[in-house]
Amino acid sequence: MKRKRRLPLLLSLGTAVLLGAAQQDIWLLIDGGRPAYSFALPAFVPANEASRASAEEAARIFEADIQYTRIFQLLPKTYYSYIRTLDPKAIQFKEWESIQASLLFVGELAESAAGDITFEGRLLDVKSERQIVGRRYQAKKADLRYMMHRMADEIMKAYGEKPVFTSKIAFISNRDGNDEVYFMDYDGARQERFTFNAVRDYMPAFTPGGQHLAYTSYRSLVPGVYIDDIYENKRTAVSVKGMNFAPSFSADGKKLAFSSSMDGNAEIYVADVEFNPTRVGRVRRLTFNQAVDTAPSWSPNGREIVFTSDRGGTAQIYIMDAEGTNPRRISFGANHHDAPAWSPNGDKIVYVARVDNVFDLYLYHVQSGQIKKLTESNARNESPSWSPDGRHLVFTSNMRGGIQIFSIDADGQNLRPLTTVGENKLPDWSH
Amino acid sequence: MKRTLILVMICAVALVFAVSCKPKTKPTPPPPPQVKEQPKVEKVVEPAPVKKPEPTEEELFMSKSLEALNKEKPLAMIYFDYDKYFIRDDAKPVLEANSTWLKKWRTTKILIEGHCDERGTEEYNLALGEKRAKSSSDYLVSLGVPADRLRTISYGKSQPLDMGHDEAAWAKNRRAQFLIIEK
Repeated sequence: MKRKRRLPLLLSLGTAVLLGAAQQDIWLLIDGGRPAYSFALPAFVPANEASRASAEEAARIFEADIQYTRIFQLLPKTYYSYIRTLDPKAIQFKEWESIQASLLFVGELAESAAGDITFEGRLLDVKSERQIVGRRYQAKKADLRYMMHRMADEIMKAYGEKPVFTSKIAFISNRDGNDEVYFMDYDGARQERFTFNAVRDYMPAFTPGGQHLAYTSYRSLVPGVYIDDIYENKRTAVSVKGMNFAPSFSADGKKLAFSSSMDGNAEIYVADVEFNPTRVGRVRRLTFNQAVDTAPSWSPNGREIVFTSDRGGTAQIYIMDAEGTNPRRISFGANHHDAPAWSPNGDKIVYVARVDNVFDLYLYHVQSGQIKKLTESNARNESPSWSPDGRHLVFTSNMRGGIQIFSIDADGQNLRPLTTVGENKLPDWSH
Repeated sequence: MKRTLILVMICAVALVFAVSCKPKTKPTPPPPPQVKEQPKVEKVVEPAPVKKPEPTEEELFMSKSLEALNKEKPLAMIYFDYDKYFIRDDAKPVLEANSTWLKKWRTTKILIEGHCDERGTEEYNLALGEKRAKSSSDYLVSLGVPADRLRTISYGKSQPLDMGHDEAAWAKNRRAQFLIIEK
């Protein structure tokens, strides 16, 4: 009986390759004592009438997060009418079980006259009547959204997932007249400008943990790669000789790969980077040829780098060892490929291929070598970047006219636009 | 005290006396006879300004701002084939004319911008734009322009000249532009 219910849920998770390593991980987690995905999310309980509006707002934010996870299935709200209204002091677990809830989230919110919010959230396992996650937060009303994202991320962590909702997406926008770096949440909320300079900024890339941001900036007419501390006013120039593009941090944050023409031609280099104080160590060159080598992205274990090269006459995707040795081509068919990005769990590489002047995203499965088309839009979809949990991607597209950023799940579902103002491109999701 | 008062009074009396003893006015003389005089003819010659020599071409050049100079577009842009960065035959005379200009104005320095059309991806286009700028620079060097007067930069596909989405627009956008940055 239980098994029967699991199957469709797994299918709905289905990232096409259900037999991949990631899916096995999930299976083990399910069998490891948390057999439920059906998620009951009744209205948050306000402490008084004055807290009601904030409680409703908080529940909306939290529900959107849970919906986005693709791990949990929200129980239809109509089911709640069959049982008594939730009383946080006396939870009737049997009743929740009777409407097929496996998980129950109980939220209580109190708002003071000064706008201070206290929130208590508990994720409960209905069958065992045990608490899985419990958190109490205090925040200003302005931070309500961030507070609920923290709560959702605690649940992600409890299920062995990487936090997604407090992550940031860095991107380039010209909405204020010049190409500058901006940040936004996973859902496009809270868009804010990060760089303020008259030059153009390009290709942002977060360090693991999101404390620093590498990007290309056209200072003094030289596109250099710089690393900024996001929270303190510190900047490090990594490379300002020649043209320097496409920075990408290794998963341990110790190495920065980028493309540079410091020796005359676009090659891939790796800089040893250490922070606090931010400084750049040795810079090593990995590619040696007259072709273009660019857009490096690290495998999560740091042993390999996937990149774009036109050494064979057209732009194709190659993987090489982290020392620059053993390059092998993985893309075939089209005559123009670019912007590869290795998924955080290592099983897939997403890249752009151009066929008949249409750019679409493709997923290359590292183990099997199979390639699957991810987007189908008759437009130009490019610059993909993975979510921290590898279940979602952001990318740039002109599918609705102007150049904007969209997100999509790794199985091609849930396409949604994240930006609307100005032109927005080159998104990078913090991990 | 008393003495001072007397002194003041003496002074006052003296002053009154001095005023009342004005000399008698003389009788006015008869008016002079009216003479009809012809106005003198004055020769009016405006002094000619010192004749300035015509400004030399060089002076004219130096007086212009970089912005004004670039607006005149003394250096024409060149175009490239799709996905390519070699110098086309139709671009060679343009680069020759540009090199002649650069050899005439020996103090100038220029920035060669490489641009691409929208049919390449963002990342690859930056490298392609750089290759276009570099091959333009190499060609100018081969024509005798010192390399230290030439700088290159790539803007990828971020600065299209023509916003259209057809071959005519793309052909215009695959280009190298020459910007004077020093003179």
